[in-house]
Amino acid sequence: MALSQIETDLLVIGGGSTGAGVAWDAALRGLHVTLVDRGDLATGTTGRFHGLLHSGGRYVVKDPSSARECASENLILRRVAADCIEDTGGLFVTTPVDDPAYADRFVEGCGAADIPVEEITVGAALAREPRLNPRISRAFVVPDASIDAWKTVWACVRGATARGAKVLPYHQVMSLTMTADAVTGAYLRDARSGEQLRVRARCTVNAAGAWSRRVAELAGCEVGVVPGKGIMIAMNHRVVNTVVNRCTMPGDGDIIVPIRTVSVIGTTDIPVSDPDHIDPTREEIAEMMEAGEALVPGFSQGRALRVWAGARPLFPKTTGKQVSDTREVTRSHSVLDHEALDGVGNFLTITGGKFTTFRLMAKDALDLAARKLDLSAECTTATVPLPDSESKRFYWIGARQEEMEHEAPDDPLICECELVSRGDLQAALARRSDWQLDDLRRALRIGMGPCQGGFCAFRVAATLHRDGQYDRLAANHALGAFVEERWKGVKLISWGDQLRQTRLDQWIFQGILDVEHLPK
Amino acid sequence: MWSTYPNDQVLPAKFWGCSGMRHDVVVIGAGLAGLTAGIRLAQEGLDVAMFATGHGALPLAPAVVDVLGYAPDRVESPRVALPSFVAQHPEHPYACLSMGVLAASLDWFKELVTPLGYTGSLERNLLLPTALGGLRPTLLAPETMAAGDLGGGGEVLIVGIASYRDFYPKLVAQNLTASAPADGRRIVARAVEVALAGDPRDLRPQLLSRRLEEPAVRSDLARSIRAELGSEAAVGIPAVLGLERSHEVWTDLQRWLERPVFEIPTIPPSLPGQRLQSLLTQLFRSFGGRLQIGNTVLGGQGANGVLESVTVAQASREISVSAGHFLLATGGVGTGGIVVDRKGIPREAVLGLPVTLAGSPSEVNPEYFGPQPVDRIGLAVDERLRPLGDDLGHLFSNLHAAGATLAGAEPWKEKSGHGISLATGFAAAAAILEERG
Repeated sequence: MALSQIETDLLVIGGGSTGAGVAWDAALRGLHVTLVDRGDLATGTTGRFHGLLHSGGRYVVKDPSSARECASENLILRRVAADCIEDTGGLFVTTPVDDPAYADRFVEGCGAADIPVEEITVGAALAREPRLNPRISRAFVVPDASIDAWKTVWACVRGATARGAKVLPYHQVMSLTMTADAVTGAYLRDARSGEQLRVRARCTVNAAGAWSRRVAELAGCEVGVVPGKGIMIAMNHRVVNTVVNRCTMPGDGDIIVPIRTVSVIGTTDIPVSDPDHIDPTREEIAEMMEAGEALVPGFSQGRALRVWAGARPLFPKTTGKQVSDTREVTRSHSVLDHEALDGVGNFLTITGGKFTTFRLMAKDALDLAARKLDLSAECTTATVPLPDSESKRFYWIGARQEEMEHEAPDDPLICECELVSRGDLQAALARRSDWQLDDLRRALRIGMGPCQGGFCAFRVAATLHRDGQYDRLAANHALGAFVEERWKGVKLISWGDQLRQTRLDQWIFQGILDVEHLPK
Repeated sequence: MWSTYPNDQVLPAKFWGCSGMRHDVVVIGAGLAGLTAGIRLAQEGLDVAMFATGHGALPLAPAVVDVLGYAPDRVESPRVALPSFVAQHPEHPYACLSMGVLAASLDWFKELVTPLGYTGSLERNLLLPTALGGLRPTLLAPETMAAGDLGGGGEVLIVGIASYRDFYPKLVAQNLTASAPADGRRIVARAVEVALAGDPRDLRPQLLSRRLEEPAVRSDLARSIRAELGSEAAVGIPAVLGLERSHEVWTDLQRWLERPVFEIPTIPPSLPGQRLQSLLTQLFRSFGGRLQIGNTVLGGQGANGVLESVTVAQASREISVSAGHFLLATGGVGTGGIVVDRKGIPREAVLGLPVTLAGSPSEVNPEYFGPQPVDRIGLAVDERLRPLGDDLGHLFSNLHAAGATLAGAEPWKEKSGHGISLATGFAAAAAILEERG
């Protein structure tokens, strides 16, 4: 049987924010793009970050060039990705455990990096965020915001697809095809069907982030990326409505980001060898819960919903140096031209960087790729809004409720926590036919609220069966698999009220529905 | 003087209000275990006061009484399976009970809740469909569910109501048809979804049940079902057939459809659970019991091995309530009777009693459906259901415990939850009655 073949200008490996950004930028420049990921889109580092759109304030003292990049990208994304952003604003506060001298260096750094900063009184800060530690000594307002990683990636991909891009989630790169001095494409394997296909590309961009070393090795190139593990804990409601940061050198657990209906505390930074093995530990969780106390007294008594870890792609610019403290590595990004570095043509790696600068990373990668492809089109992602962001209206927490009020009256809610209706589910099913429940979670946020799927998982699996997407066995299996997957993020925070929730969920699945004994 | 305030509340020097209130028995918790014991004691003429934070799990539960469904294979006859099950699980609450007490509690319950028409016996488990179409073993079922016993196979029509989000008839029917109830028996199930006239917006179970209490609405529903009926011997429908008038709704549907109709329990909230809870609380009050929901017991005071009083938080004050006997029936981790802190350390929430079989709840099983250490934690008790201290002697001669607060069961895996609550509540009442002479 003949292998399916795809001819494309640009093959992008890695469906996180960087890869999606590259696809969007390339499509706008008129290139035919093929974007592939071994799993669903945004399941690596992108889908595992805290959701902070940096003002740059965090890096002004430690990493000023990264701070400047964040500051200008923050302004750009507010213009082109408004639908993905909630304009929460940010506060930097000096807590009793922070060095009071840092605040002046912080203000000076903001000035140098062009970050608008305004000092407010402690009273004003507490009026804005009543749960903040009343013993803070100084408070500064900066334009931090929260940004939805999934919405951003899908918007890029939707925009690219509308301009002819081909997007292939669940397609692993098995090998890169090469001539003596250049990469010519890749062999892919569909992780679900096992089917192989071949992509011929004029240029290939490795946007695999923390995994980019592995992809580069397929072409015999070396990329010295160091995965830096960071854990995050989502609390069951908005402890704060403004991003709050400790005004200090970046450390563990010093940011709380309100995003959607929860708030996320982060994070840690530990170099790891394998970005696929980054399970949080009990000790890290305990430290994170305690760390929250400095910003919000009583934080550790709150209800934690879920814990997870992400792997930053840290790229030390001084290669060959042993990295022991990944916090010392710059958050700026690098575009590696493997033709210059390794004598392998038509192959680039874009690595390092951070979510806030994903658009700039894509631009820098594409500028180099365009030169290789003799393309003169300029980058327009700083001015062309992403799909659904054309109106430049920011997302706000009541947006979903507002939409629902206009929805059809016979459209039942299937997820109360995140306000997802059957109509939303059916619309998603109409867009794509090969959904796994966990993909739908990222697309619709089912199972992300306090009950972690206790009520909606059953409804979603059964609806997929009702509407013909799943047969009986697939529905039964999907339900069990989804529940197992959710358990991963809950098992380590099984205490207090979330443990009670876990018990209720187990009672539903085992006690009432008897999921374990469904017919085979 | 022994005093415990596990919630770190400071004992006020002087109680406001009704200090000195004294009852024969104080029951803490208003779930199935507490209500069973409370009713049993009130039936005997005792002055019983019941204090509870909330309504417990009854209004969420399917209202079937499980005794033993899996051990770990499906149990056909609990009477046959229980002796060896108890021998293998000496720490299980059933190990404190005789088969006679268990059987007596079931008979007493069936008689007590006659209006709900419970059937079933220890000889054989019923096999009732779940809302996913599995066959779930249970012992007693209310009249509205009993015809769902498909242990002998059969041909059924499964009816869903469009826009009702907690019931998907096609999946139920297909899973049922693939099920093997017993050797040589087959189930043939067919699904149909019917629309209910009126405002379809988000049909919640309570609203649906209210609407079906209107004769015109349920006759419409019956007409829609009749139009779809084939040769099926019985009709299954989600458990939303009314609240106060469920008997009427169910009887009408059976009459109009000319065949048995059975409810299939749904995920919470549960209408059958609310019916049972409502009936039990009415009965408790009718026998003279006093029920105070929203009254959290904060701690107790005792001396010389006797618990003398408990402190109860009411809306605006704390009161001290003394009694001759106390029953702790606050449930397990799920209902807050046992709390686990951030370090994974469990404690009994009201009196701070020692918790056993804790293993270490922090040692979670990475497999969701595997055994979880937290499943089995609870209080160890003596043969009279009195909580034991760390030295294995009972803590107070007049304190008993019943229900999910007890250690040693995996109620959702075993399918034993309500059975344990009913039997231990019944047995605790018997122990108290005996101690009073």
